[in-house]
Amino acid sequence: MSAQVTRIFRFDASGCNGCDVEVLEATALVSLGELGIEIAERPDDANLLVVTGGANVKSKRELEIAYNAIQAPKTVVAVGSCAATMGIFKGGYAMAGPIDTIIPVDLYITGCPPRPQVILGALADALHLNVEGMEELLRTPQGFRGNPHVDQAKCVGCGACAHVCPADAIEIAGSGTKRRVRFMHKDCIFCGSCQDVCPSEAVELRAGRKEWFQTKEASLSEAYLAVRTCRLCGAAYTPDAQVAWALRRMGEKLSLDASDRGMVERSLGICMECRRKSIAEVREAKRILASLARGASA
Amino acid sequence: MARSQPGTSVIVFEPQLCTGCRYCEIACAVWHCGRIDVTRSRIRILFDEGRTAERYAAVNCQHCDDAICCAVCPSEALQKDQKTGWVTQNSTKCVGCEMCIVACPLSVPIFDPALKVAVKCDFCLGAPECVKHCSSGALRLCAREEAVQLNARLYLSAKDDR
Repeated sequence: MSAQVTRIFRFDASGCNGCDVEVLEATALVSLGELGIEIAERPDDANLLVVTGGANVKSKRELEIAYNAIQAPKTVVAVGSCAATMGIFKGGYAMAGPIDTIIPVDLYITGCPPRPQVILGALADALHLNVEGMEELLRTPQGFRGNPHVDQAKCVGCGACAHVCPADAIEIAGSGTKRRVRFMHKDCIFCGSCQDVCPSEAVELRAGRKEWFQTKEASLSEAYLAVRTCRLCGAAYTPDAQVAWALRRMGEKLSLDASDRGMVERSLGICMECRRKSIAEVREAKRILASLARGASA
Repeated sequence: MARSQPGTSVIVFEPQLCTGCRYCEIACAVWHCGRIDVTRSRIRILFDEGRTAERYAAVNCQHCDDAICCAVCPSEALQKDQKTGWVTQNSTKCVGCEMCIVACPLSVPIFDPALKVAVKCDFCLGAPECVKHCSSGALRLCAREEAVQLNARLYLSAKDDR
C-alpha cells in the first residue's frame, strides 16, 4: 500500500468533534504529501476512511454509503473511544453504533480524544509509511497522562477505581475464589480518577505505550486476585490482599498488642454478611470492640 | 489515633430490654433515606427465638476510640470527632473502597450502591433517631466511660449462652 497514494476521507459519525479537531491537527503536524497521503473531498475519491464518533441512527446510513463508495482496498480507521464503543454516548436513545457493528474496521485508535501524534503514528504504522526524521513530531508530549496500568503486586481488588470511573472502563469480575480487575483502554478518557482514588497506589497512568490496535479488546491492563472464603458460610467475599492491606494499616495507625491483633484478624475471617447475621457473631464482634475500648480507656 | 474528649456520650444497647419492635431501624431509614426501607437502616436488630438467653442483638456503631474504620480509611472520609466523640463519614471524600466494611469486626458501615460509597451511623448529628424512638429504653445515650463499663459487663464477663 505504501507505493500508491493513500487518499483519506474523514467521516464524522456524530461525535463531539473532539476527535475531528485532533485529526485536523494530525494532518497539520507534517507535510502529508511527503508521506504519500492526500485528503479526499469525496468518499469515491478515497481508499481510506477515518471515522470519528459512535454513529447514530442518522449517520449510520451515511456511513454505509461512504464505506460502499470508497475504493478498494478499503481501509477503515476508527478514531477515539466513541468509534470503538460509543464512549460517552453509550446508551443514548439515538445511538446505532459502535461503528464496527455497521462496517468492518481495520484499526482502532484509543483515546478520548487520541492525541494527534498517535493518530499520525497509527496511520504511519498501518500504511507502512516512512516516518524517518519525524520521530520528534510523533513523540508523546510532556504532561500527557496516558493510559492506566495496574500493578498486580500492589492491587488489593477493592473496586474503588471501578466505582469512580466515569467511562465504565474498569471491570471487576470474579468467579469463585478469583477476582479480576480489568482496565479497558478502548473506553478510557485519561481522567486519572482511578489513580487518584487507589488506596494501594496500584494504578498509574502511563504515557508512551502503543495506543492503536487491530482489535478493540487488545489493549488491557489486568490484575488477578485470590479471594478468601468465609469461615462460616464458605462464600467468597473479599480479596486476601484487601484484608492484608487493612491489617497492615491498622498496625501502622493503632497501637494494637498481639492478642488484640489476633482477635481482630480472626474476626476478619468471616464474611461481611455473616458478621451481621447471627446473634452469636454480633456478640463476638461486640466482645472484641468492648475489649479494645476497655484497653483504650485503661 | 483519635480519642474522645471527656464528657462525650455514645449509644448503648441493652439486649435484655429490647422487644424487637425494630422501630429504631425504621426511624433510622426515614431520617437518613427519607423512606421506610429497613435494608438501608444503619442499625440492625437481630432476633432469635431459638436462644434461651440474649435473644436480641443490635448491629450498631460503637463510635470507638481509636476506631478501626478510621484507621483503614485511605481517603480520610471516616473521621473521629474528638469534641463530640462521633465517628462520622464524609461521603464526598469516600472512594467506595469498602475497606471500612471489611475491617470493622461488626461490619457496621454498609455500601450504598446508588452513591457508590460506604455509609454508617452519624449519630444523627446530635440526637439519634433510634434512641428517640426506642420505647423500651434498650437503646439509650450514655456517658462514654459508663458505656465502656456496661459493654465490658455485657460482652466480656457474661458467658455467651447459646
